[in-house]
Amino acid sequence: MMLRPPWHAIKIPLLLLLAALLLAGAGILWSSDTQLEANKNLQQQTRARQTAQQKLQRSNVEKALIQQNLGGYQNLVARGFIGEENRLAWLEAVQQANRDAALYGLNYTLAPRTAAAAALAKGLPLGQTVMTLRIPMLVETDLPRFLEALQQRTRSVFRVRFCQLTRSSEVAPEALNRPELQAECELLWFTLAHTGVPSK
Amino acid sequence: MIRRLIILLNARQASVLDGRPGNMHWLGDFATTEAGLAAFQRLLLQHSGRPVRLVLDSVDEDYRLEVLPHVAGAARTEMLARKLRQVFRNAAFTGAWRQSRENEGRRDDRYLLAALTDYEWLKPWLGAIENARAPLEGITLLSLACQSLLKQLRIREPHTLLAYQMASGLRLSYYQDGLLRFSRLLAGDRSVQNSPQTLAPGWAADEISKTQLYLMGQRMLPREARLQVLLLDPSGHLASAQAPLNADPAFNARMLDLPTLARALRMPDEFLSSTPEIAPLAALAGEALLLDLAPPTLTQRYTEFRWRRGIHLAALAIGVAGILFTGVQWLHTLDLRDQTQQIQSEQQQTEARYRDITRTFPPSPVGAEQLGETIHLAAHLENPRPDPRHALALVSRVLESQPTVMLKKISWQDRLFAAPGMADERQISLEAELSPFDGNYRAAMQDIGNFMAQLRAEPGVIQVTLSSSPVNTQSSAALSGNTLSGTDSPHARFSLELRYRETP
Repeated sequence: MMLRPPWHAIKIPLLLLLAALLLAGAGILWSSDTQLEANKNLQQQTRARQTAQQKLQRSNVEKALIQQNLGGYQNLVARGFIGEENRLAWLEAVQQANRDAALYGLNYTLAPRTAAAAALAKGLPLGQTVMTLRIPMLVETDLPRFLEALQQRTRSVFRVRFCQLTRSSEVAPEALNRPELQAECELLWFTLAHTGVPSK
Repeated sequence: MIRRLIILLNARQASVLDGRPGNMHWLGDFATTEAGLAAFQRLLLQHSGRPVRLVLDSVDEDYRLEVLPHVAGAARTEMLARKLRQVFRNAAFTGAWRQSRENEGRRDDRYLLAALTDYEWLKPWLGAIENARAPLEGITLLSLACQSLLKQLRIREPHTLLAYQMASGLRLSYYQDGLLRFSRLLAGDRSVQNSPQTLAPGWAADEISKTQLYLMGQRMLPREARLQVLLLDPSGHLASAQAPLNADPAFNARMLDLPTLARALRMPDEFLSSTPEIAPLAALAGEALLLDLAPPTLTQRYTEFRWRRGIHLAALAIGVAGILFTGVQWLHTLDLRDQTQQIQSEQQQTEARYRDITRTFPPSPVGAEQLGETIHLAAHLENPRPDPRHALALVSRVLESQPTVMLKKISWQDRLFAAPGMADERQISLEAELSPFDGNYRAAMQDIGNFMAQLRAEPGVIQVTLSSSPVNTQSSAALSGNTLSGTDSPHARFSLELRYRETP
């Protein structure tokens, strides 16, 4: 007799059962969500505490690092590596190097500053400015002499990316005091934006 | 366990027990009169919605033992309905109870079939139950209730005859291995307790002996079996039957006293003494109905009651489970929040200590880590700071031994910017021509090959490749030229690519 449900008699109990299911389901969902959120907050807070503890434990090391590196950092500031570009100094340096190497003048072009490649910047706000130089030369050894002189004349951080020597005439080199070689070099001048959070 | 009303019905009256498990109440007797029926109906209305179980005590009971094939489900229902119609003809109140199974042969089922052959006296009571809209659970017999009583008393003799003296008469019920086989009520609806016949000494013993002979005649009781006779009589009149019965070795008679019953039923002696007929009803209260004589139409309301109750219980279980789960989760959430607050407090304390310590640091424009990283970056950019000097020296060394090679253009590139993965590699591109050149391309290719071999032999050189040669002899390219005299002198121009690593 229990097999065939008397539907007319169990409508309200079924509604009650449905309500109980909905309420229980809603309660379970709500409490699960709340617990999940609380768990997430706990893990986040635990990580924050761990970071704070690690910072505290490393405070002595940090102090030593500041004492050790502050001089070097200030030296880089003085060299113009940190902060704005110092294009005048760079131009003066290449001109003086040209004179020091007793060359025949040069043409220069400075491109706008761009961000350096991420692999090179290592997470720091490193900028690079491309300077293209075109220098007439007498012999091939003028190029190394010019680069040597430039290193002596500037304290800025730069690096040679590309150099090309081209013979301007088809005839074999002659013993004349006339530059028949054309050098074209690309120098990268590096600067670091000053965006760090100061340490008190 | 369901709280129900258990009603003992005979032709003269109805006795009602409120069968709440562990806390039973006697609700009174109601005579078979208009006033009694009205009071009975009012009582049912007072206990509205409570299931009702009827226990009949009548001389019109009929029992039959049958062995039927073992079938199940609808086939069994159909077989039993057919058998009941066949045995009891037009009886409206019939029932079958599958008691056991044969141990041998086809292993058929043993059934006890029972019926109420005259039920006119029952109709007013069923009418009152219907009018009160009480859910009728079922109709069973007092002999079945007495079986439950024997079970409570833990009586395990194989052949037991219970002689139960009640207001309605003397009921003799035979149980084999605790299962009802036969029962009869003597002196039915007459008031027999004080009649001269029942008071006559030895009357009860004679009736018991006759019953024993009947059982033997029906082969229900083996001839050699000793019948255990239990005398249950709150008034004490049956005590006189004990001695004559025990004089016969076929009997072993003993009285069942009220204290023993009270202990077995776990109820106070006084309660049982005041209403002795409660004993079988109380024993039946917690038991399922093994034998139900009620037709399905009468128990429809109880079916609905069971469905409603089942669904209510399911809803309650789901609700309670939901509340419990939610509560446990919520408590756990509170615990997690407490832990979070505690950790936050610890973090703030740690940060405050760190701030105190950092006040003693030398003033720095950036953090300690960035100081070091900046210095390392500058060092990485400057050391080493490669330039073309090494490349020019390398090419010059080789050119000294190759006087026919005239350099037209040389390019140098730091591969750090082209391929950061090969930061320590540099690249040289050469454009040159052989001079003088007499048009012998085979000799020219030989010279270029020698030149490349010398370059490869230089320390640090990784790879030297010929980008273009004086003459392209590949099958996939078109080739043209002339050997006419008087034209311009031929050229043997070529270009090379060279990768090298600076050696200290």
